[in-house]
Amino acid sequence: MRSSEPIIHIDPELCTGCRRCAAVCPVDAIIGEPGRPQEVDAHRCVICGQCVQICTAYAPDHLEPADGLKAKRLQRGQLPSVREPLFAAYSTGQALGVKRALADSALYKVVQCAPAIRVSLAEEFGLPLGTLTPGKMAAALRRLKFDRIYDTNFGADVTIMEEGTELIGRVMSGERLPMFTSCCPAWVKHAETAAPELLDHLSSCKSPMQMVGALVKTYGAKQDGVDPAKIYSVAVMPCTCKEFECSREEMEVDGLREVDVVITTRELAHLIKDAGIDFMNLPDESFDSPLGLYSGAGSIFGVTGGVMEAAIRTGYELVTHETIPNLQLDFVRGEEGLRTATVQLGELELKVAVVAGLKYVSAILNQVKAGQCPYHFIEVMGCPEGCVSGGGQPKLLLETMRKSAYQARKSSVYRHDSHQQVRKSHENPAIIKLYKDFLGEPLGHVPHHLLHTTYQSREKAVSPISAGREGGRI
Amino acid sequence: MNHASSNSLVIAEAAKCIGCKACELACFAVHNRDNGVGTAVGTVTMPVLPRLYVIRTDSFTMPVQCRQCENAPCAGACPVQAIRQQDGVIAIDAEACIGCKACALACPFGAISLYKAYSGGAELPQPLLQERRDSKLQRKTRITAYKCDLCRNTEIPGGSAAGGDAGGRGASAAAAQDRNPYPACVAVCPEKALQLVEVGTGSSRSLNREGVIF
Ligand code: SF4
Ligand code: SF4
Ligand code: SF4
Ligand code: SF4
Repeated sequence: MRSSEPIIHIDPELCTGCRRCAAVCPVDAIIGEPGRPQEVDAHRCVICGQCVQICTAYAPDHLEPADGLKAKRLQRGQLPSVREPLFAAYSTGQALGVKRALADSALYKVVQCAPAIRVSLAEEFGLPLGTLTPGKMAAALRRLKFDRIYDTNFGADVTIMEEGTELIGRVMSGERLPMFTSCCPAWVKHAETAAPELLDHLSSCKSPMQMVGALVKTYGAKQDGVDPAKIYSVAVMPCTCKEFECSREEMEVDGLREVDVVITTRELAHLIKDAGIDFMNLPDESFDSPLGLYSGAGSIFGVTGGVMEAAIRTGYELVTHETIPNLQLDFVRGEEGLRTATVQLGELELKVAVVAGLKYVSAILNQVKAGQCPYHFIEVMGCPEGCVSGGGQPKLLLETMRKSAYQARKSSVYRHDSHQQVRKSHENPAIIKLYKDFLGEPLGHVPHHLLHTTYQSREKAVSPISAGREGGRI
Repeated sequence: MNHASSNSLVIAEAAKCIGCKACELACFAVHNRDNGVGTAVGTVTMPVLPRLYVIRTDSFTMPVQCRQCENAPCAGACPVQAIRQQDGVIAIDAEACIGCKACALACPFGAISLYKAYSGGAELPQPLLQERRDSKLQRKTRITAYKCDLCRNTEIPGGSAAGGDAGGRGASAAAAQDRNPYPACVAVCPEKALQLVEVGTGSSRSLNREGVIF
């Protein structure tokens, strides 16, 4: 099974042992002596890909035999047409398989794109940092011969409906508080590894990606009149951990994988270039309905604080039955590793916290273990600024650009939200219709079957060193 | 012309360098904007060709690059005068370079390398020579010498802001109008192992020595 293969690797031939990757790894999964090739402890690694983003040790291709580089690309799952340099820390890709499937006319190819792809994809084509291109992205996916262009943002809206209802239920009953978000697979894996006793504090919601996956092969298949078994469901993600998530055993609907394969932003760019598509001159095209229609709330899932902001926009109105006075919730925006706020929802004083970057979560986990955590709802994102800074996002050539890259991608996400006509998940007409025609009530029987999941303890049996070997080499 | 003024240079402190090669990558990136090299790795369609090299021994790593020698031996060796002293930098005119390797042999530091020339991200053909490749006669790729030019005529995006005081004493504006005060390698080094050193702009010899010798 795919999920047992490690996704993050360090190439011992290229690693210089500078250990900058170890400095950004939030879970101390990188093991080794300075100046020697490093290894990844696959058990601890949360597959966030931050090491992949920071590593600057590249293969000096003019000095190496071309065959060696070719073999390395193949080993990494890269298309042979890729020209960019190879770095020591890398994630294995799935573009080869996706290219093959796209040429298979017997398959019904469906794709979804995470909120953070449209603000970063253009960087791979030399456009300025954070350039917003949802229309070109949809057009490129259509040129790649996907039959349906859907959107993870739609799943984000569904997540708000389910998670918001779950939260209100838990706050009212006082049970299993605080409730943690479960959209970030790196965070979920970390919780399963480092705090298995707290797993029932995680929302039972699947991530937006898996929700869309489940809906594509049920609701979407029905709408399009196709056999779910013929659907090949691809997700384009800013995150190297999403491939791990889609391979989890429990992510199945009626015996079919919800998401068949995940590619990263960088791999989508490789596929576009490989197909000879002139990205810069593509027209703006739209997403397909129904699973491609999203609200502004869905699109801000790409930044830290976004899930919280989207949840509050809907939660406020569900609890108070009044219109929320201000849609821009500045108190959850920002870049600090931990932000907290108190939100007045009618009578209810909701205490929330936003964690950006896994290294900030251990203090909170300790508080919860000690029964002293004051918050009701906690958003956790593994990467330092949320998915805009994910491990599958365009990698920067200059470290000096990191801050401005994240800033530009973030403001692009917020701009996208502010230009949407519908900015609250529960007001998205496609969501209203989905619940009316198919899902019924949030947390009801059908949503429970399709959209919710359980977690597993990954408490350690193997020794870290042997796991490191298994993770570090191929 | 001020007689006391000498060429600036970038020097590395081996004790600080961790061998990450960020300096090499940054050097390549800022010198190849014409080759379509943007901010993201995905924009690169050519080999990474830096103008400084991180060398590695058993006990240390550190980058080596051009010392901007006052009596540059490379310039003396160049048969076509492609190497000139310009605005406080020893610079190679890539178009004039005939790829003869004399400079590379003359440099006592190994700071010059010869590689294929690129234009628009693709190999630049040599106008006259042909060679047999894939059993066909094809135009040979142009070869040219590359060396550190202190990021002359380049822009370092985010460089000065993020570099902070990383540039050591920084360049005096008068000495180098078109030279970036923070060469790309200096700006990106996470360990601040690199420093742009201005020699001869101070008032005393001891200051000069301090700048050059650690
Ligand atoms: S993987 Fe990259 S960042 Fe990590 S130690 Fe090796 S060279 Fe340095
Ligand atoms: S993927 Fe993330 S968790 Fe795994 S080694 Fe890299 S930085 Fe650490
Ligand atoms: S960037 Fe700094 S630490 Fe890294 S190799 Fe260059 S000089 Fe050494
Ligand atoms: S290339 Fe070598 S010889 Fe020429 S100026 Fe630089 S260090 Fe001196």
